[in-house]
Amino acid sequence: MKTILLVDDDESIQLLYQEEFKEAGYKVVSIYDGSEAIEAFKNTAPDLVILDIQMPGLNGIEVLRQIKMVNASVPVILNSAYQEFKQDLGAWASDEYVVKSSDIGELMNAVEKHIG
Amino acid sequence: MPQLRRDPVLGRWIIISKERRKRPNDFVIEEAKVIGGFCPLCPGNESFTPPEVLAYRNSTATIGNSPDWQVRVVPNKYPALKIEGELGKEAEGLYDRMNGIGAHEVIIECPDHHDIFWNLPLEHLALVFRAYRDRLKDLERDPRFRYVMIFKNYGKAAGASLEHSHSQLIALPVLPRMLVSEFTGAESYYRYKDRCIFCDIVSQELQQDIRVVCANEHFITISPFAPRTPFEMWVLPRKHASGYCATTQSQEMLMALAYIFSETLKRLEKCIPNVPYNFVLHTQPLRSGDMEHFHWHFEIVPKLTSIAGFEWGSGFYINPMPPEEATRYLRESLDS
Repeated sequence: MKTILLVDDDESIQLLYQEEFKEAGYKVVSIYDGSEAIEAFKNTAPDLVILDIQMPGLNGIEVLRQIKMVNASVPVILNSAYQEFKQDLGAWASDEYVVKSSDIGELMNAVEKHIG
Repeated sequence: MPQLRRDPVLGRWIIISKERRKRPNDFVIEEAKVIGGFCPLCPGNESFTPPEVLAYRNSTATIGNSPDWQVRVVPNKYPALKIEGELGKEAEGLYDRMNGIGAHEVIIECPDHHDIFWNLPLEHLALVFRAYRDRLKDLERDPRFRYVMIFKNYGKAAGASLEHSHSQLIALPVLPRMLVSEFTGAESYYRYKDRCIFCDIVSQELQQDIRVVCANEHFITISPFAPRTPFEMWVLPRKHASGYCATTQSQEMLMALAYIFSETLKRLEKCIPNVPYNFVLHTQPLRSGDMEHFHWHFEIVPKLTSIAGFEWGSGFYINPMPPEEATRYLRESLDS
């Protein structure tokens, strides 16, 4: 079973994504704080990371740059409610950028593209 | 007594507020915190950028998108405008709209993550200016685009989101309003006097010698008469040309431009260490042909003052540093 590290401080997003991705056959490890994400990445060795940007502790782009230092080959999907973080060149370290939506289809397609 | 000054090209007014007068030491800029971590612009990480549209390498034998580049230009991975498609211009009553077509590219100026633009060797800086020229020429062939804006954000306060030295380019299907105002103002002066206003500015500044920061055989850096911010500077070719590409055809001119730019930014850095700034190339529209009334130049605008309600509402800027004083500090910075 492939493992997704889900880093998002929003409880409702966590619940929604856990349900959807577990149903799709993935194991989901949930982290709510950017500063805890790097250790969790090292400990769980996930197959893919879904990363929010605006979070307490480190923001998602800083987490992304640290994670890619540990292992650049693990795909990371930035998942923010905002388009404007696309203008941050730090976001280029990600493998996908998916804007949050009530329809999880685009995010699911992005996950399956990389580890499906 | 504060002084109102009028920009002779745009007609824009600024306020020189001598009561708020400052010296360079009054602008304290925190040293940029190095975030570190993975950098998608560094050599070896080419797979994290879209395929390059231009790269200069030491060896012509190496393949594209390999790590041995000196300057590399790539499309923006998450662009503000899309390169594919038609303009699809249409009206909705009195409102106009079109598809968000354009090119958004990043010029990665050097392979080393820690190198600073103004401190690059002159030969390397000349390569960056050559990349600007070569991209302008290439994008000119696309009939959908009317203008290419080249700019650099340096420092977080100026909008730079990554330490790795880079500048950006956006090709637009329309002329930016700021440039239209500049072309119109310059044309109005030309109709009246039959001379390029920028040529007259260069000539008068050399004669008066109170706002000339530095100069060489081909270029001059001045503090403009009505600057928006402390230490605003313009870099202009001494010989008239409306298009950047016309002046920068030869290696000699690229080197002269690299030299004046490096010296200009070194002086600024010496006055105010770590100062964030933006620079923008102002050049003729694509396929416009030579414009006798316009003169290409770079505008360097340090981020030292904030833009608040008065500035937004009036278009006025309040500047606490007279350009003559700024020039004196800039001249003394390397000469003392």
